[in-house]
Amino acid sequence: MTEPYNPKILGFLCNWCCYTAADSAGVGRYQYPPNLRVIRIMCTGRLDPSFPLEGLAGGADAIFVGGCHPGECHYQDGNYHALVSAALVHETLARLGVNRERFLIDWASAAEGPNFVKIITRFTKRAAELGPLGENEGLDPAALRQRLAEAAEFARGRKIRTGLLNAAKEMMKGGDFKRDTIASLVHAKCDKTLAELVGGGAGRGEG
Amino acid sequence: MASTKQPPPVGGVPSGAVLVLGGGVAGVQSSLDLTELGFKVYLVEKSGAIGGVMARLDKTFPTNDCSLCILAPKLVEAGRDPNIHILTKSELVSLTGEPGNFTAVVRKEPRFIDEEACTGCGQCTLYCLKQIGDDYNEHLATSKAAHIDYSQAVPTSYYIDAKACLRLNYETCGLCAVACQAGAIRFDQKEEEVELRVGAVVLAPGFGRVGEEVLRHYGWGKYEDVLTAFEHERLMCASGPTGGEIVRPSDEKHPKKIAFLQCIGSRDETCGNNYCSSVCCMYAIKQASLAREHDAQAEITLFYMDVRTHGKGFDAARERAIAEGNFRVVYGRPAKVEDVFDGRLLLTWADDAGRHNYEKFDLVVLSQGLESPPDAEQLSRACRIDLNPYQFAATDTYTPLATSRPGVFVIGAFQGPKDIPDSVTQAGGVAGLCSGLLARGRASETVRAEFPAERDIAGEEPRVGVFVCHCGINIGGVVDVRAVRDYAKTLPNVVYATDNLYSCSQDTQQHLVEIIDKHRLNRVVVAACTPRTHEPLFQATLRDAGLNRSLFEMANIRDQCSWVHMHEPAAATDKAKDAVRMAVAKARHLTALAEQQLPVTPSALVVGGGLAGLTAALSIAEQGYETTLVERERSLGGRVQLLTADRHGHDPREELKELVTRVEKHPRITVCAESKVAGVSGYVGNFTTTIDRAGQESLVVNHGVTVLATGGNAYVPGQYLYGTSPRVMTQLELEHRLGAPRPLAKGIRQVVMIQCVGSRGEDLAYCSRVCCGQALKNALRLKRMDPELAITVLYRDMRAYGFLEDDYRAARELGVIFSRYRPGEPPQVTQGRGKSSPVTVTYFDPLLDESVAVAADLLVLSVGIVPEDPKELARMLKVPVTADNFFLEAHVKLRPVDLPVDGVYVCGLAHAPKGMDETIAQAQAAAGRACQPLARGSITPEPIVSHVDPEKCIGCGACETFCPYKAIAIYKENKGRKAKTISASCKGCGVCAARCPTMAIDMGRFTLEGIRAQIYAFGEG
Ligand code: FES
Repeated sequence: MTEPYNPKILGFLCNWCCYTAADSAGVGRYQYPPNLRVIRIMCTGRLDPSFPLEGLAGGADAIFVGGCHPGECHYQDGNYHALVSAALVHETLARLGVNRERFLIDWASAAEGPNFVKIITRFTKRAAELGPLGENEGLDPAALRQRLAEAAEFARGRKIRTGLLNAAKEMMKGGDFKRDTIASLVHAKCDKTLAELVGGGAGRGEG
Repeated sequence: MASTKQPPPVGGVPSGAVLVLGGGVAGVQSSLDLTELGFKVYLVEKSGAIGGVMARLDKTFPTNDCSLCILAPKLVEAGRDPNIHILTKSELVSLTGEPGNFTAVVRKEPRFIDEEACTGCGQCTLYCLKQIGDDYNEHLATSKAAHIDYSQAVPTSYYIDAKACLRLNYETCGLCAVACQAGAIRFDQKEEEVELRVGAVVLAPGFGRVGEEVLRHYGWGKYEDVLTAFEHERLMCASGPTGGEIVRPSDEKHPKKIAFLQCIGSRDETCGNNYCSSVCCMYAIKQASLAREHDAQAEITLFYMDVRTHGKGFDAARERAIAEGNFRVVYGRPAKVEDVFDGRLLLTWADDAGRHNYEKFDLVVLSQGLESPPDAEQLSRACRIDLNPYQFAATDTYTPLATSRPGVFVIGAFQGPKDIPDSVTQAGGVAGLCSGLLARGRASETVRAEFPAERDIAGEEPRVGVFVCHCGINIGGVVDVRAVRDYAKTLPNVVYATDNLYSCSQDTQQHLVEIIDKHRLNRVVVAACTPRTHEPLFQATLRDAGLNRSLFEMANIRDQCSWVHMHEPAAATDKAKDAVRMAVAKARHLTALAEQQLPVTPSALVVGGGLAGLTAALSIAEQGYETTLVERERSLGGRVQLLTADRHGHDPREELKELVTRVEKHPRITVCAESKVAGVSGYVGNFTTTIDRAGQESLVVNHGVTVLATGGNAYVPGQYLYGTSPRVMTQLELEHRLGAPRPLAKGIRQVVMIQCVGSRGEDLAYCSRVCCGQALKNALRLKRMDPELAITVLYRDMRAYGFLEDDYRAARELGVIFSRYRPGEPPQVTQGRGKSSPVTVTYFDPLLDESVAVAADLLVLSVGIVPEDPKELARMLKVPVTADNFFLEAHVKLRPVDLPVDGVYVCGLAHAPKGMDETIAQAQAAAGRACQPLARGSITPEPIVSHVDPEKCIGCGACETFCPYKAIAIYKENKGRKAKTISASCKGCGVCAARCPTMAIDMGRFTLEGIRAQIYAFGEG
């Protein structure tokens, strides 16, 4: 058997829950694989949809976003907004042919060090199974990363972001924060625009 | 209640200063709390440095946090606080006067080194010829007559041991004076007496240790490999005499078989200490866990009489430690230690069944108990306070922090043996009490901290300094810190990089200021622990160096690196390098951000009208602030109304009634009974709460802080025939009967009590702490009523901590039988012949080694405590709760009553199960802490707010729609519309930035550029 692949994982953790959970895992000396690198943000609501794409473009094999449990965001509904951004990321990955499991958004409360460890251990294992970005997908890694960089740029464009904010408005209005509901809202609002990314020559988004 | 029994200061305005005696964690914390509340503090410490015992500990239970790492920031803060005057090598000689106006005479021994002039360079120690035992290292190492206790000591000044110094005693030597470049040596310094005018006195002298005769009984002093736990602690510590190697003193070999003996000098009538020291069970488990970290193969055995891990989360931590560390736990008390001439030590003990066992060990660690401080008597004379029979300060259940003399308070171990969280809690409580007593003297003697003018760095190239911390062996034991430091030097814009043993110590802070200045640094990166706890400390240092605090970034290479990858040093080192690279990348993009000051509404909301809530509300009101008290029931009082006697035989309901009256009559307290919190918005300084009131319109109150005291209930058992047989009742129900005129029905001859009903892994995962004490109290009440009554208590561990041990002993002396049952084999209870006949209790008696059946006329269940469901409030206030439904404090050790959300505090059963005296002290602590923002009058939130680029903004209003705080608004400008942040309301979540269609919005410190730089830097790894 060959050595399992050592994936590079980039994480965005919210200050109040997941980052605290990660600290408390340390205090409890819970051990987990050393693959995650962390960027602290105050709330997952800060997550710009371009960040995960940029992370993958820049060398990550997988991206993790960790926040507070739904309904427990320190700022009320930041994590619902994160789900909106996440839906766009998944949507984009699907179009680029990237395995959707390379991007995970999950929750751990401040008191849940062990839960954080479980999530990261499982995710790292899965990322190792998927192997280097592109391999599992059968895509040329360099070309793929190039396209991801373009996708990140595209996610900073006005047109796609307008779609996203409209999806977010409907989400708030509907009050249904289930992942698939949010995903279908984002799909409805952004699918056409996204076609420009893949169909009409990537990278020509505004912004 | 303590707060109210102190008579008000006579004649005019009270002093605005407080004398705190003792510089351990309790004294330091109360000093810091007092200055935050607007009082000047004289911190009088007997030794040469503050820090006390906690500074000597390697780690702390249950988190195994590095002790000095969490303490050092406090020491540094105390050292730099202009309102704390630290007097070292000093003692209190006399105290005259009245509360509000005392005169304290303090005798200050000379240090022989000028504190102001000393630069802490250590040349004097280098040149000193006189070796002395190193007290800080328990005499396992040597030091010199001219020395500093430990490198992070505050004050960071050396001093000379007058008893050892050759120059002072024999007029020879004096080399240090020659060596000292600063000319700080002062052989002619004389003892001085200082007179201080203070309004109140806080005694926090800490504890003494069980005497050497007791230790000698266990072979200490005779056999080298018998160590006290304090000695063992130093051996484990990276900064200790062996650099963190646990080796046998006799042959410097690693011990393969270690025994920990509990209750050395505690629970021991023969040495006069019948009480339980309350901390040893925990520290032994901690030490065992660390010994395991040092050696994965060693056999580790813990000898217990009872395992008393009754603190919040302690049982769970213990169980995990025992399982993971693979420790053997033996219930037994080896009577002595013998040397068997093969370099090993023989222990002999009797087990629960009375069988004799013996075994050899390589190292024996004695869990040395705590005693009252050695100078207790002198102190009691100087302050004219009463001591209890064990020479601790005498206090009352209802005024736990007040001594017998008004205006003189006591906290920490001198009030009774206790651990760090309880000491810190009391520190907060006493600050609140002083603040109530001296309210009119507030801010009369304090000055505002001043920082140098901020250097304008706009236009400068980034010059980044990187400081990598070893954190003792916490980081250094796993991560190759020097490699990380060298790597940092290669990163763009890094002009300076170094490593420190402890980055948070006061000398390092001073060093940091010098380096910032010398290398003209304009960005600072510290790679150490977590920004959540340590960022404020380093930011304060930046301000001292004239830098804006936003020019700082931390790389978390401990909590999220060395601690979680302990067995993968290479991978952890790589991860630490990546973290530093990413932090530096972000730091290069940091800019100085303007600070804002927000006013604070000077009032409080207290939720819950039981003992905790009442005490907190009264204390806040006495400190001078309006308070709204919300209670769900029609009348105030809570669960204490169900108790009919305390352990001294007083009726707590009497005390409670008085408290309720005081609260109801207090002009600054508004009571909302039959009410409920319906909604909360806002943040520290500016909360708005809607209160639903039965039969009335709801009320909206604005308040600056919130105290949660929602209490708990008795667990309702479904086991042991409770509810089926009239013979079965809970302790509270028995308590109720005992308060009635004819408590016991005729013909009751045999009572059985079962402990831990519902608790410790049954329905409730935790220990409910008070049930053992309550069972003892009720057993004694029964016995005193009817000495013929047979009482059997079936228990797992009798957790009669502290002075409760007296009750345990008294009960046994009166003939109460105690029998231990194992968690897997709980007693069986079966119905008697008739529905109301005595029930049969069957249990395994270890002493007889067989099953025993007793017909119980009365079966009393010691049921656990269930907290009131916290979820709704937790959601509204965004505070976390534990898996057991208690509110989760910001830091278990050092911020035990603060919740992680600023301006929200917790006390009483909502925090964890606890007794009345503990509840009162904690409520006073919550009140003391809660008044800090109120006393300050304004808050300076972190400048992480959003800002809008009007060039890019198209005025779509998405940000306004999504902002949870209404902190961004659209305004009309010429032809168009633009968004603008209302900085005072913005909390920095960043939703607006993520949703802005034109990316016109950015966040302070968490900028788009900064985060992208981190992402790129990640990719470069
Ligand atoms: S603060 Fe954790 S997700 Fe918003």
